[in-house]
Amino acid sequence: MTEDARAVPEAEDLTPDGGGSVPQRMALRSAEFRRVREDGWRRLEGMVNRVEGQGIGALSSGEATEIALLYRAAASSLSVARNIVLDRGTLTYLENLTLRAYLVVYGPRHGVAEGLAEFFKRGFPRAVRAMRPHLAIALAAMMIGVASGYAVVSVNVEYFSVIAPRELAGGRGPGSTAEELMSEELFAPWPGFVDAFVVFANSLFRHNTIVGILCFGLGFAAGVPTILLLLYNGAVIGAFVALHERHGLAIDFIGWLSIHGVTEILAILLCGAAGLVIAEHILFPGAMTRIESLTVSGRTSAGVVAGTTALFFAAGILEGGFRQLIGSTPGRGAFAAATAALWAFYFLRAGRGGGADNGDAG
Amino acid sequence: MATPDERVEALVGEARRGRTVIDTPEGVPLGMPVANHGERLAAFALDITFMTAAIICLYLLIVPLFFSGVNIRVGMTVILFLAFIVRNMYFLHFEMAWQGRTPGKRICGLRVVNRRGGALTPSAIFARNLTREVEVFLPLSLFFGMSAARESWQALAILVWSLALTSLPFFNKGHLRAGDLIGGTQVIFMPKRSLTRDLSLDAKGAGGGGYSFTEKQLSIYGAFELQVLEELLRRPRPKGEGQSLAGLAQICGRICRKIEWRDPVPPEDARTFLTEFYSALRTELERKQLFGHYRADKTGAPPGPD
Repeated sequence: MTEDARAVPEAEDLTPDGGGSVPQRMALRSAEFRRVREDGWRRLEGMVNRVEGQGIGALSSGEATEIALLYRAAASSLSVARNIVLDRGTLTYLENLTLRAYLVVYGPRHGVAEGLAEFFKRGFPRAVRAMRPHLAIALAAMMIGVASGYAVVSVNVEYFSVIAPRELAGGRGPGSTAEELMSEELFAPWPGFVDAFVVFANSLFRHNTIVGILCFGLGFAAGVPTILLLLYNGAVIGAFVALHERHGLAIDFIGWLSIHGVTEILAILLCGAAGLVIAEHILFPGAMTRIESLTVSGRTSAGVVAGTTALFFAAGILEGGFRQLIGSTPGRGAFAAATAALWAFYFLRAGRGGGADNGDAG
Repeated sequence: MATPDERVEALVGEARRGRTVIDTPEGVPLGMPVANHGERLAAFALDITFMTAAIICLYLLIVPLFFSGVNIRVGMTVILFLAFIVRNMYFLHFEMAWQGRTPGKRICGLRVVNRRGGALTPSAIFARNLTREVEVFLPLSLFFGMSAARESWQALAILVWSLALTSLPFFNKGHLRAGDLIGGTQVIFMPKRSLTRDLSLDAKGAGGGGYSFTEKQLSIYGAFELQVLEELLRRPRPKGEGQSLAGLAQICGRICRKIEWRDPVPPEDARTFLTEFYSALRTELERKQLFGHYRADKTGAPPGPD
């Protein structure tokens, strides 16, 4: 005889309503419970499968309403079943189905593109405004770095090679003459469209984005590495200024740096500030538990870091291309001031009004 | 809440897993099964494989470019840029577009969810994946960079620290990594389960010519034993029919002794007998439960503390 339960579909007519061969036995209450509701569960399961496969767009508007109703029915079935059903097969199925349906019904309703547009319109500038104190600390750390780098290299130019890594120095060092600095760096000839915008800009973008992400991620270690990284980046800038000042080129160097530096340094500071927000919530969780506090702060600050990717991209384009296109120091200064004004306007004005200004990028 | 479930799982050899309970607006608490370390690692390995394969394919594009006469430096740069996008957007894109599932997670039946039960927001996905850079890729690059051995004690210190960060999932109940902590997310195990057949439908019952049990015989066991029996009956039968029969016959014998069933049950009828007993026991236990007498197991203990 066939013992395998699943291999006997004809056994269906053993259910009392089927008018089958064995009507004399009362059906189990839980079997009856399941039989009545099973169609709804299966319909819900079909919809959930479709959404999991193709996204929420797979449902028509009518179905979107229906899935919510079916989910509520399944949740109430589950609630009852936990009390009256001892069939583990039905229970695990219902637990699984209800959870999956819950995630569909209460899941995000917007697509990736909408989410990104909303983020840059509101979430990003709001989140930045919410971390002003941290931004100030990051700025202070970098300024201290600049001052100490400048001081050290002014006293003894040999320290330049200690502070600036060889890749960044690019052949510049204590031995560089004013002519070399002028012709090879500050007022180097335009290398051509391809090298400027594509090759150079690209490698800068990739390098800087990684630095920014590190600045943020290291905030997890109570922020100490973040501060160190900011100090160090400042020190490198200070060392460069001091190196150029020996040849009376400090102003020209600042012009050369500021054309992209305004954007790039802002982006690094934002990442650093985001790391400090994480650090603050680890060290001083306040009334919440440490993990809750971390969660609340983590999302907004991670959003900021994701947003700075766009800033790094802009900085890469500016550094790779525009720096050599604008060949005079006053012109560079004006351009830098324009970018600064643009960012100030964006971060101070964008996304004001229209809902709570709580910096949640959600 | 899930204590009886976990007991059955432990006994029938399923992976043991904890559950995070969320409260739904409907007032029905739902348990989310936490993904195990092995499943997470397998999914991550799959994703890394897919990602690397995609990047290698991109690099292979340079070969046709070489013959097409395009400026090779431009070509290389565009490819590097695309590889950068793939490397950084892989997890972000899939977790946003596929409701918290990357291809690797999908294969392993895993899913990223909001730990509190709300919607999984893009910023939560950013948070958990940006941290991945520090948790996974930084230690890896440090590890491979160690052989270069410049300032090796510094590299070692950072390596130790970042390994401590990476091993975070081993030291908390929800197996959360740093990115999950920051993003407020959790990875759960959620395969598609199908509705299995109700075993009680296969029983003929006392009135239908099946076995009939006395009330005393049905008062030995509780819900735990009932559900273990159900799992055993649901087990797919192995190829060697004799093996499974012997196993069931053994269980059948033990139950018969316990409930003092006098007539011998031939081994080939063991499955029928157990199905009948299962159905009768479930009817009895559910009836009693309806009157408020829930019986967790044969010791008659009340359900475990939860």
